[in-house]
Amino acid sequence: MAKETTGATTMESLARGRTTGKFRCVNCFVRISPPPGAKTYKCPHCGFEWRVFWISPTFPRIRGPVWDVNRRLAAEEVSKQRKGGK
Amino acid sequence: MALNRKIAYINLTTGEIETKPIPISMRKKFLGGRGLDMYLMYNHVKPGVDPLGPDNVAFVSAGILVSTLASATARTHIGGKSPLTGYVGSANMGGFFAPEMRWAGFDHLVIKGKAEKPVYLWIHNGEIEIRDAKNIWGKTVHETQQIVREELGDREIKILTIGPAGEKLVRFANVMTGVKDAGGRSGMGALLGSKNLKCIACRGTMDIKIAHPQEALDYNKTFITQITSAKVSQTQGKIGTPFIWGSTNSWGGIRTNNFQYNQLEYSDDIEAESLDEVNIGMAGCFGCQVHCRARYIIPDGPYKGVYDEGPEYTAQGAFCGEPGCTKRNTLLVCNHLANIYGMDLLEVGSLTAWAMELYEKGILTDKDTDGLELRFGNDEAMIEMCHRIARREGLGDILAEGGLRAAKKIGKDSIKYLIHVKGMSNLHSDERGTPSLALGIATGSRGSDHLRSRPAVDLYHLPEPVLRKIYSTPVAYDGPLTSDYKDYEGKPWQVFWHETCYEAVDCLGICKYHTTFLAATGPNFEEWSRVLYYNTGLEMSPVDIWTVAERAYNMERLFNLREGLTRKDDWLNDRYFDEPTTRGIPAVQGRTIDREKFAKMIGEYYEHHGWDENGVPTPETLKRLGIDKEPSHVL
Amino acid sequence: MAKVLMIDYEKCTGCRLCELVCSVKHEGVSNPARSRIKIVKWEWEGRYVPMSCQQCESAPCMSVCPVKAISRNEEMGRVEIDYDVCIGCRMCIAICPFGGMSFDTLASKVIKCDFCDGDPQCVRFCEPEAIQYVDAAEVSSVKQVAAAEKFTGIMQKVAAAIAAV
Ligand code: SF4
Ligand code: SF4
Ligand code: SF4
Ligand SMILES: [Zn+2]
Repeated sequence: MAKETTGATTMESLARGRTTGKFRCVNCFVRISPPPGAKTYKCPHCGFEWRVFWISPTFPRIRGPVWDVNRRLAAEEVSKQRKGGK
Repeated sequence: MALNRKIAYINLTTGEIETKPIPISMRKKFLGGRGLDMYLMYNHVKPGVDPLGPDNVAFVSAGILVSTLASATARTHIGGKSPLTGYVGSANMGGFFAPEMRWAGFDHLVIKGKAEKPVYLWIHNGEIEIRDAKNIWGKTVHETQQIVREELGDREIKILTIGPAGEKLVRFANVMTGVKDAGGRSGMGALLGSKNLKCIACRGTMDIKIAHPQEALDYNKTFITQITSAKVSQTQGKIGTPFIWGSTNSWGGIRTNNFQYNQLEYSDDIEAESLDEVNIGMAGCFGCQVHCRARYIIPDGPYKGVYDEGPEYTAQGAFCGEPGCTKRNTLLVCNHLANIYGMDLLEVGSLTAWAMELYEKGILTDKDTDGLELRFGNDEAMIEMCHRIARREGLGDILAEGGLRAAKKIGKDSIKYLIHVKGMSNLHSDERGTPSLALGIATGSRGSDHLRSRPAVDLYHLPEPVLRKIYSTPVAYDGPLTSDYKDYEGKPWQVFWHETCYEAVDCLGICKYHTTFLAATGPNFEEWSRVLYYNTGLEMSPVDIWTVAERAYNMERLFNLREGLTRKDDWLNDRYFDEPTTRGIPAVQGRTIDREKFAKMIGEYYEHHGWDENGVPTPETLKRLGIDKEPSHVL
Repeated sequence: MAKVLMIDYEKCTGCRLCELVCSVKHEGVSNPARSRIKIVKWEWEGRYVPMSCQQCESAPCMSVCPVKAISRNEEMGRVEIDYDVCIGCRMCIAICPFGGMSFDTLASKVIKCDFCDGDPQCVRFCEPEAIQYVDAAEVSSVKQVAAAEKFTGIMQKVAAAIAAV
């Protein structure tokens, strides 16, 4: 019934799982929490380093890669994979 | 009530205007906005007409919930056979036009024929007048609106207009309203231009009765809070859509130097945070609490001090990623130029980047470019091409015809480098690492576009149970779903689901940022069933709304098939399959789309729709959706 | 302590949801022409100013009204219209310096903000908090005075724009 409003909808139940103060590393997908106010942050799991922007004092996001670091890491990783593959 | 808005048939050749009520049976079948427009288009546009000839028809509409309490209920839809692709033309914009058109008494306009000389429409509390447009012909999008308001003596008038690009029949010209709200993609501005129709001015003070006012208010509060509490909305509300650039460019999903790379390196100056420095505050469309539009003033250069809105994520890609430019000023200026000329910035950036690759490969020479050094990273050249395309000067005149026609004219193997689907340039995303996104652009009814079916949440690495929750309502699905965006399995269902979701949102007239697009927690069918009831009194279940959307999408498919579309048009440029990616995180390096797996995906996508292996809806599907006897000419 | 609407136009995003909810609350319809609040815009400069009744202490509308239909309700802190007395002459509209009074042509009556009887809907829905419902005393704090001073210049411009129509 259209006017039925009891029971949580998909949207409502999913909203309960939100996290704050963290973002997912876009390389390894692990949720990581940079220290408050950090301008850059190295992922403790994969070593990729990100430039961080704060939407609010408790809400960080990835602005972009620390270019030189991530380019080098990616190149190393890719050449390792290629060798491993052969 | 919210449903008593009318449809008007306006013949610009004869000057005849006829208005009619919209039967409730048609509301239940198509709701309004894009859905009903697609029905009208299939019924009124004869097969094979010249999109720029008088026999094409322009459709302008408001979604059924526009101006009511359902969060951002601001959307205008514009339809017609596309001058760019020859298939479905369909554009959608926010701002304040559609609400005003509803307060003026109308939900749908069907505009036929061609005026002898430039005209505009003046729509006011149930009245429609055709007026002389000689004062505004040739004027920019911003100038036109100011002049018309002055002429009619009311600063509250809302105006849908074309710019100089539309007048010059640039095949990807936009319909615009306000400072930057754009009905882009598929060249609806050229369609209006071909009819000598410069703009539509609206002003209305007629009631739209809300069926259950107190419940509508209370539920709207819940609905809005749900939207604005999403992290994505908060981010978007502060720095706008350019926030998407941050992660997408970080992993390597940005088409760069046309299609040579998948990441614009050292792009700090054009990132959202840099744009934020010139942002003087955010703006919202009608009723919107996300307020994702940035207001900015150009801080330096020849355009110093100019006010505009945006730029959006698509502008970052179009004017920076694709042509390889990294200066903020270029982005701010090109965005402004696209707004005042009224043209699709995705096409402008994409075609310019293509021309740059042709120039660097020697297919285009200085002779073709009148001496302009069309190299990647040449910011000045990017700005100059905005002018040339809008004014149809030199190479700009060729590009203004759209990619496929331009490729024919340029010849050699230029077509090899053109990133398009169905003749529409792709936006700036590089889908080689993401099969689901690739499937979306390959199959979209209006061409290579992200707003038809993009499963953006596929990029978020959501756990499977969450995916299951989203994708098995309101209709059951128990096939595969995976968290990895590099996979091919289960993605066709996701694309089908989002396609249906976005079609529904376009029928309702709600903004896509208020549904499951960028936020996994956005409202969809279940919530819409409620807001529809509270505002209009229409009782439709989530499945009913889903079915409306499916029906409307099938009308689009039928239209395209009637215009000669075949399965091979749901496909990508060979570069997607043959040229591996070279930048970004290790997981997306060396990626191509696998031809066989991709073909299998297309097959599955057809199956979900109830289409045969050629992408034609089966008789059973049409019967199930109640559109087996189209065209039925009810409206 | 009576409360008032405090408007900070710099926070306004121009969405006009306040106009919508005001007309739905009072008339059960979506129609900004019947809203008690109005967003005046300079779109080409990106400036949006919410305008509504200031519930003036010594209200010009009150003194101009020839039949004394307008009075101040101290408890609610608002200026009210007695529709049984009002003759619809619209003098109050002409004199109000803030465009706070307007004419509802559909209902043929003058209308103005009534704080939604204490649950202001515009405040409830304005996410950027451009409109707040606060103690009158708070508005007179130093900070607010500064904001108000800045606001006065804008108000004059708005009033001029409204008068020009
Ligand atoms: S609701 Fe708030 S932000 Fe929106 S127009 Fe009204 S005052 Fe401005
Ligand atoms: S209507 Fe105008 S004059 Fe009367 S109290 Fe309100 S702001 Fe003051
Ligand atoms: S307080 Fe109520 S009556 Fe006054 S402007 Fe806001 S919504 Fe309208
Ligand atoms: Zn990591």
